[in-house]
Parts: sequence; C-alpha cells; structure tokens
Amino acid sequence: MTMVSRLWCQKTWQNLALAKVLGKEPKTFSTLVQLKTDEAIDDNDSQAQTNDELIKSPSLGNYRLVYPEFLPDPNPLFRNGIREKLERMDMLNRRSVLSIPEFYVGSILAVTYSDPHAVGKINKFVGICILREGCGLRSSFLLRNVVNGEGVEVHYDLYDPAIQKIDCLRLEKRLDDELLYLRDAPLEYSTFPFDMEIEAKISESIPVNDIKIPLNPLPWSQRWERYNLKGVKEIVVNERRQKKAAALAKPWEKYDLMKTYRETIPEEEQNEIFSDVYTKLNELEIQKNILKRKYMLQRQKSSKTRTL
Amino acid sequence: MNQAKVEKLVSRLRYNVGPKPRKLKNVDGSEGRLRKIKKTLTAVIKYERIELNYARADETRGYVERLISEALRHGPEHVETMELANFWINEKQLVHKLFKVLVPRYQNYTTSFTKLHNAPCIYPGYAYKRAILELRGNIYPTVEQSNPHQHNLLHNILLDAARKEYRMEKYKEIAANMNF
Repeated sequence: MTMVSRLWCQKTWQNLALAKVLGKEPKTFSTLVQLKTDEAIDDNDSQAQTNDELIKSPSLGNYRLVYPEFLPDPNPLFRNGIREKLERMDMLNRRSVLSIPEFYVGSILAVTYSDPHAVGKINKFVGICILREGCGLRSSFLLRNVVNGEGVEVHYDLYDPAIQKIDCLRLEKRLDDELLYLRDAPLEYSTFPFDMEIEAKISESIPVNDIKIPLNPLPWSQRWERYNLKGVKEIVVNERRQKKAAALAKPWEKYDLMKTYRETIPEEEQNEIFSDVYTKLNELEIQKNILKRKYMLQRQKSSKTRTL
Repeated sequence: MNQAKVEKLVSRLRYNVGPKPRKLKNVDGSEGRLRKIKKTLTAVIKYERIELNYARADETRGYVERLISEALRHGPEHVETMELANFWINEKQLVHKLFKVLVPRYQNYTTSFTKLHNAPCIYPGYAYKRAILELRGNIYPTVEQSNPHQHNLLHNILLDAARKEYRMEKYKEIAANMNF
C-alpha cells in the first residue's frame, strides 16, 4: 500500500505540476462542473501551440469512439475536475504497462487474469464483449462465452491490476449498443473456441457484423420486444405483450434535444480532454502497432515453416 | 457512473444547464411535456420575447438553444436537423425563419442565443415565479433599464468633481474681486 502511494506520489509530481493547480484553484474541489484550461500544465508555449493544433485536427475525431472511458460521467452532479484529471493520469500509466487494445461491443476478446486458485495462477477467458459501461478507472466490460454447454459471463474492470493481458481476437461491431439479448439466444451464437487466434486484418474502418440473431422461445430474462433491437431476427410474443410494448414505446425520445445533451459530453469539452491525453495515447498506439506487426510477421513465418 | 454516449456530437450550450429535466405538469407524461415545450418554443421563435412562468421558460430555453445550435452546426441540408426543426416548430413558416434569419444572426455569437429575465409577479396573482424569455439581438428595447443618474457611476463621479472644482474657482475669483 505504502509502495503504491509512494509510486503514485512520484508520478504525480513528475508528470504534472498539480501542486500549482491545487494552490491556485481551491474551488476545483467543489462538485460543480469545472471547465478550465490549466495553465500550470501547459508550461511552455510550444506545448500550448501543439494543443491548439490538436483541437483543430480531425485526428481527435474518432478518439471518443476508441476511448469512451476517458470521457467523464455526463451527470454534472458526479463531476469533479481534479478527480477526473487524476483518473486520466492513472489510466495512462496503466496503459503504458498493459497494452489495452481497441475494442467495441461485439468484438471477441481474450483476457488473461491472475487467479490465485487457478492452476499456474493464471486464468484465460475468451468471449464476446456484450456490454461496456462506466467511465474513468471504474470502466468495465462483460465477456460472454459457453463453457461445457453453459453460458458463462465474466465481468472485468478495464483497469484492474490483476489483468495480465487483453487481446482483441476479432475486431468488429454489432448493430446494437448492448448484446445482453445473447442470454436468451441459442447458445451457438455466443460460443467461441478458447484456442482462437488473433485475426490478421488491418483495415481502416471497423467492420460492422450485421448478423440477425433469433431468440429462444419464452420465458426471457427481459422483455426484449420493448427494446427496439436491430440485431434480433423477429420477436414473436402474444398480442397482449405487443399492445403493451406499443403503449410503452417512446418514439419522441429521439427528438428530445436536452436529453441527448444531458447524456453526452459536448464537443468542446471532449477536445479539451483528449488534447490533454493525446500525446501519450498516440505514443502508446504506435508501440501497439509495432508489436502487432511483429506478431503477425512471426506468425506468418511460423506457418510457412509448418507447411514446409 | 455512466458512460457518456458518443454517437452524436453536440456543441456546448453557453448557459448553466440544470442537472435534471423538470417534469412540467400534464397528464400525458413525457410526451405531453414535449408538446408543452413545443408550443413555447414556437412562440419564442415567432415573437422573440415572451413572458411566462419561470419553470417553463427555463425548460424551454435549453431546447431553443439546442435547436439553434444544431441548425448552426449542420445547416438545412442535413436531414436529421430538418426533421428536428419539423418536429419542434409547430408553425412551419418559422422553419424558414430558423435557417434564414436566426442562423446568420447567431453565426459569430460567443454568448448564449437566448436570455432569461426574472419578471415581477403582478398582484393579485398566482404565486408562480414569472420570467421573460427572449432571443438575443431582437428589435425590441432592452428589458434591463439601467438608471444613468445613479451617483456612484463613474461618469457621475467625474462630473461631480468637475462641478466642485469649477465652484471652488468661482469662489476664489469672487473673493479676490471683493473690495472692503
């Protein structure tokens, strides 16, 4: 514990002169939303200049999709500028040790987790990501697979120090934001082999898997007819439930401008946040790409030797 | 802790947005609430300044701001924005006003597009707080009327000092010209 705190302190003082921030702006501890540019962090003009360029550059455009957990909670009652900044620093530190790949709901992941009770104290789980939630250090994802004919779901915190390795075996998206309906679908749709290998595909855009999944007959864990799911074939329920679903539908919700505003972080604020972490994330991304290419080359070589 | 939804990008609104939406009293729930706001929003775009109850004015303000910022962001060619305008504005000739009058007006604004003033309750009346909601840059005279005769304003202080100096000089002159 003391080790951790000492390390944390060292890194804090090294990376950012946060002491200045703390001294200058005591009101940043309040729970209100704080939207300010930190002068203490942009010590030299050149860095400030690069930051300005970054805000304008379109490369930050897809950062919100790749790193959604860097954005804070949209509820202003849960906001705290200092805490968010500290969490972002911790996340970057964790990412510099463990390479966390880009993944989405619908991607297939392999997580190696240290487990004191497992043989060799290591546990590997492969599964499809059916849910991504939370923000900051508490962000987490849910993996689902079938083990011995039984659906198994494992909930991992993305920044859990017990995670030793995360591999994205197949990078793709599905039609829905959450795939929790796989719980009520035939098991074959959530079955993935544990010895799957990383698929060799480097494409510019993320492929969207537009598979439509049939659901099991009732009973279900949730009333799926009410959810307006795109990735489900056709939902068959009795007339009473159809009527109820129609009565509870909210087609006007997509026009509720303030609702969408309260559920998201405005673009200006996103740019502020991502221009803070851009340099470090970009560095890590380049390292990750190099490692990936190396891995692919090695695999190609080994497959060639095998065929010979 | 919730994750922010990232599919849609929005511009930041330049006023203090409340953390929760208000439940405007009506029998139809959230649909009725939007219907009430639609009426007020159409009136604000039509008349540019209206007086109403504070809660409804404050609630409508966000929707007006968001609609204008969406129109600024995407323009009339964007299908979804046009759908939004069509949904929110009851009188359809005002859709033209939104894109042809309001968007050019607010192109270079660095402040919010609307302004909310507290209005007095007229006695005897209801206890609800009243407010005036207006679009900025309208043709009416300003609601806030500052008194230019307040003694502590800078120009009044300077004028007072000048008057005093002039008087002192005059006294000196009179004293010098006196013959006993």
